[in-house]
Amino acid sequence: MTTAAEFVGVTQRFGDFTAVDDIDLAIPTGKLTTLLGPSGCGKTTSLRMLAGYTQPTSGRIMIAGTDATRLPPEKRGLGMVFQSYALFPHMSVAENVGYGLKLRKVAPTERKRRVAEALDLVGLGHLAASRPKKLSGGQQQRVALARAIAIRPTLLLLDEPLSNLDARLRVQMRAEIRRIQAETGLTVVLVTHDQDEALEMSDRMVLMRAGRIMQEGAPSEVFGAPANRFVAEFLGYENFVTDADGSLTTVRPEHLTLGASAASGLSIDGVVTDVAYRGVDRLVTVETVDRAGETVRLVADVRDEDVTARPGQSVTVSAPAARLIRLAA
Amino acid sequence: MKTSRPVAASLAVAGYIVMIVPILFVVATAFTAGRSLKFPPEGFSLRWFEAAFSYDPFLSALVSSLELALLATLLALVIGVPVTLAIHRGRLPGKGIVEGLFLSPLIVPELVVGLALYQQLIIGLRLDNFPVLLIGHTVLMLPYAVRVTGASLALADPGVEEAARGLGASPVRTFFTVTLPLLRPGIFSAGLLSFVTSFNNVPLSLLLQSRDFRTLPVTMLDYVQQSYDPMVAATSTIILAGTVVVAVIAERTVGFARIFGGINR
Repeated sequence: MTTAAEFVGVTQRFGDFTAVDDIDLAIPTGKLTTLLGPSGCGKTTSLRMLAGYTQPTSGRIMIAGTDATRLPPEKRGLGMVFQSYALFPHMSVAENVGYGLKLRKVAPTERKRRVAEALDLVGLGHLAASRPKKLSGGQQQRVALARAIAIRPTLLLLDEPLSNLDARLRVQMRAEIRRIQAETGLTVVLVTHDQDEALEMSDRMVLMRAGRIMQEGAPSEVFGAPANRFVAEFLGYENFVTDADGSLTTVRPEHLTLGASAASGLSIDGVVTDVAYRGVDRLVTVETVDRAGETVRLVADVRDEDVTARPGQSVTVSAPAARLIRLAA
Repeated sequence: MKTSRPVAASLAVAGYIVMIVPILFVVATAFTAGRSLKFPPEGFSLRWFEAAFSYDPFLSALVSSLELALLATLLALVIGVPVTLAIHRGRLPGKGIVEGLFLSPLIVPELVVGLALYQQLIIGLRLDNFPVLLIGHTVLMLPYAVRVTGASLALADPGVEEAARGLGASPVRTFFTVTLPLLRPGIFSAGLLSFVTSFNNVPLSLLLQSRDFRTLPVTMLDYVQQSYDPMVAATSTIILAGTVVVAVIAERTVGFARIFGGINR
């Protein structure tokens, strides 16, 4: 695995606030890496440091093996797509996409060809002469992508690119960005706060919190074995049980069963407090007391139609040992 | 005009009447055939327009006023736009103080500014009247340049300039290919306001003029003090017509909504 870019001990402080706290991170070449986390976790600041819009307080940023820490954005050769798209309103779509090529003194005929190529890649060849404000949000986003790709960047940086789109388009664009990444073979760094987006799109995801990296790895690795409670909660785990020795265990709702008690693993008695019918399944909330003596709510995702559960009913909640995930505190 | 606010609408109409009707009287008297500034005018003629166009002091003063207003507007923009950028985009310590300084000519009485410039520059440093007038008018216009372009810059997405940098443009290149075109309506309206302010200015011009460089408003004021004939009304009407032409061109090319909205979208 070669590295397209690297953060080496990077810290960014704004006054008293530490936005990024001594992170080390390698961005693998030709892959899509996601920086994921809640707002204020430092993901956007990290991306902006990579792009050169803000300078780290300490540490180094390496791009393609050389120290780029003090390079201004225009010397980095990266393509960035902004959350607001940031298209040039006074230029046509083709002029927007050709802007970076013009600066690189690409000859007009070659420029025209590469603009057309980039627009075709995002499926907007027919809108080359339009003004950005005449386009829909989704189309503007594609123009922003084409503009960033046209300069053949060493890295393509995407700052929450999908958050201004409506829900249906957002899901379509996930696949679209994956396709473009696969076709161009570009190294992509994507910033998002949406765990579904990260899980679906990433080759590698980096979960951040309060300026630090909590966990990184392939989506299946991270989702299959969250390192701590924050990661687990952020990825949608909601059942947490503390053992007598203080160790924390989590289990996914679909792995909990009602009624039968498991030979080994988790088995705990409680009272049903809520049943939410959702068509294909039901979410049954059970209130119980764990071995540390704390009252906890467990949510079981029940698909078996024969299992009946009504609020007030006493039940046994269980899960096989293989489905239990031990967490660091 | 359909409106659900009768009070505001009545006030607006009253405002228009108060502002426009007196001007209409001036225009009407300019076309009189008589010898005095009386309403209703006595007959119709263009004789006072002929007189105004052949009255040398007005003509040379008009040229002087235009010269001064154009130069001062250009200077105010050349100084004001970068200052605005520094205030809004730069990492300038004490931004508030700098902005306050550049807006202060709005509240300092013009006579005081004029007197200060007269004392220090004309008497003290023995500068010519024209450069001092130019300095005075430029200072007077800086608030417009800073405020109006600042308003449009505040509306502009800083991401657009960052995008240009990311695509390979140096800060200077970004300014000329992205920031400046984005601010064009704001700069245009700042220029328009500045030009009109300078062109109409009396207090500064009155204090700082010389025998061979006098602006039109001051010359007209002098003229009215001596002879009360319709030539002044005719001159005013010509200026008004010029203003209307400028306004129409502005509306056709940029549009008032964009000029006063201040930004290209």
